Amino acid sequence: MEYPDGSIRLRDVTLDYRLYHDRTVTLRDTILNLFNRKTTREWFRALSDVTFTIEPGEQVAIIGSNGAGKSSTLKLLANIYEPTSGIVNTTGRIASLLDLGVGFHPDLTGEENIFLNGALIGLNRSEMKKLIPEIAEFAELERFMDTPVKYYSSGMFMRLGFSLATSVDPDILLIDEVLAVGDSRFQDKCYDRIWDFRERGKTIVFVSHDAEAVSRLCTRAIWLDEGHLRRDGDVNEVLAEYSSNSQRRVSMASSAPREWGSMEVKFDSVTLKTESGVPSRIFRKGEKLIIDADVRSVLPDVVSDVVFGFSIHRYDGETVIACNNLEMNQELLNIEGSANCILELDLEVLEPGTYFLGLALTDPQAGKDYHWQDFFYPVTLLDERREPPLKLRKALWKKTR
Amino acid sequence: MNRLQNFRHLKLLMQSLVAKDLKVRYKRSVLGFAWFLLKPLFSMVVYYFVFTRVLRFGGAIDNFALFLLIGLLPWNFFASSLSASTTSLLDNHRLIRSIYFPRIMLPVAEVLANIVHLILALGVLIVVLSVFGYAPNITIITLVPAILLFAGMTAGITMLTSTWNVFYRDVKQFVEMILLAWFYASPIIYPLDSLNVSLGISEIFMNIVKFNPVAGFMEIMHSVLYMREWPHAWCWISTGCWTVFFLSIGYFVFKKAEPTVVKEL
Repeated sequence: MEYPDGSIRLRDVTLDYRLYHDRTVTLRDTILNLFNRKTTREWFRALSDVTFTIEPGEQVAIIGSNGAGKSSTLKLLANIYEPTSGIVNTTGRIASLLDLGVGFHPDLTGEENIFLNGALIGLNRSEMKKLIPEIAEFAELERFMDTPVKYYSSGMFMRLGFSLATSVDPDILLIDEVLAVGDSRFQDKCYDRIWDFRERGKTIVFVSHDAEAVSRLCTRAIWLDEGHLRRDGDVNEVLAEYSSNSQRRVSMASSAPREWGSMEVKFDSVTLKTESGVPSRIFRKGEKLIIDADVRSVLPDVVSDVVFGFSIHRYDGETVIACNNLEMNQELLNIEGSANCILELDLEVLEPGTYFLGLALTDPQAGKDYHWQDFFYPVTLLDERREPPLKLRKALWKKTR
Repeated sequence: MNRLQNFRHLKLLMQSLVAKDLKVRYKRSVLGFAWFLLKPLFSMVVYYFVFTRVLRFGGAIDNFALFLLIGLLPWNFFASSLSASTTSLLDNHRLIRSIYFPRIMLPVAEVLANIVHLILALGVLIVVLSVFGYAPNITIITLVPAILLFAGMTAGITMLTSTWNVFYRDVKQFVEMILLAWFYASPIIYPLDSLNVSLGISEIFMNIVKFNPVAGFMEIMHSVLYMREWPHAWCWISTGCWTVFFLSIGYFVFKKAEPTVVKEL
């Protein structure tokens, strides 16, 4: 059966590695083991029974913690690895950005390297001739094309690698977190080029830890967990579930979610939502974060002057913001039975990423800790979608004469 | 991609790999290609001196120096192909792990780059031979199939050694050692029949020496360029069989190990 160019099919794919505990294997060891009948082989299953289909024009992110099998999946798609069992099927031309400038020889000039490595990435002679000026221009290395690449800075080297690797017009683009190329201005340029592939309906498979980049580039995400396909679906849903899960996993560390207090007054249920009222764990720059908390008291009387606080922590547990209504001179809570409290946060996101939100109900004057939820709610804060790319701040019409 | 495009692309890829190899070798080298001639020339001088002046042995052969050169050039091709290709997979591990291409091209490209040298060096050799009154005759046409077979055999062996070297780094050292013994076991610095005459070696031992995979090819070289006679049939049979043997075993082993090799690198 013929599939259209740019489609990817994985069926029941399993990939095993041989594991060495000590990499230096010599003939002597093997011969000794031959006599001992002791096997040195140990297998490590990088992927087990992974099945998914990517249609032409889809942009899919593969997410997961280290060692989840993300890079192995990319290498399978790039035809570098053969699956131990199962079927990997890709159609059309593939450009892989797994490692940049790998074929480059330090003693050869930029142009020679393009000529000698062009064939590796699937260019033919006439395409190479045609593309050289373009590759040099994109890499901003026109003046250095006759310089041996060993005199390039690492940034220049990577720029040439990126420029060459993306000069092919692929049906499928595989990207393995190599976008840290050069300075931030060049990174933007790289994103633009990748964005351009997206606009032209090319299939993109993107492996990254950067939630922000993933949600910007991709519409769908596949979450791999220790070689198993954990979830496959809309990028924001999968990201949210992934970040709440990885938060739980960090629980062994300092930023473990903790819940403590007298529980005389406690959070019954807490919902994080956007301004429009949609429950969410992902917030873009400029969006308000609304904390909608149902609070319940088990005390017979009205509990007055309850302080409602929140804190935001970085992934490593470091506190970024901690604040409460007492500090901000706002109304304290008086709770009789149950109540609904809304906390509206307008955050200026300077560094997008995943953060932990903690909430607390206390009465510092009475020395009471009713209910603390530390590192309890993972939230992903993203840069704003740059649409429209320009905004009119001011326009001035003047008549000078 | 259809079959023809695919073939064209593989051809271009091979050309690129060979060109890269040659370019890199001669960057910043003053003598460049001349080294491929200088090395055998230098060994020729050494052997000539040892055999004619010290051991007083080569006197039986007219123009012993030329005789030496005829065998040393292809041996130099064989030895440098083998030692360069053995590490070719390891040397290119980053490339192999980030882009797909038929990896068998790596050891084969080394052999092809060395073949280019051999052909150039043979051109020079033929001029030298002509100057000393050994101008080749019609039998020289047999060198074309002979070199093709020899290159095929070398490629087959490099497929084996480059694969094994990924699993055991000892293979490289082992190859260097074997090459040394192999050199003296082959009729390069002595004619094959001299074993019979001067050392009085039995028929059985003679056949063992003839069983050497490179013996047939070396005899072809000597009979064509030195004796200027048609090579013996046994030379062809031996070289042909060994070529088929090494190419098929080499290809089979390489292909079988390839998926594992990529992960081991």
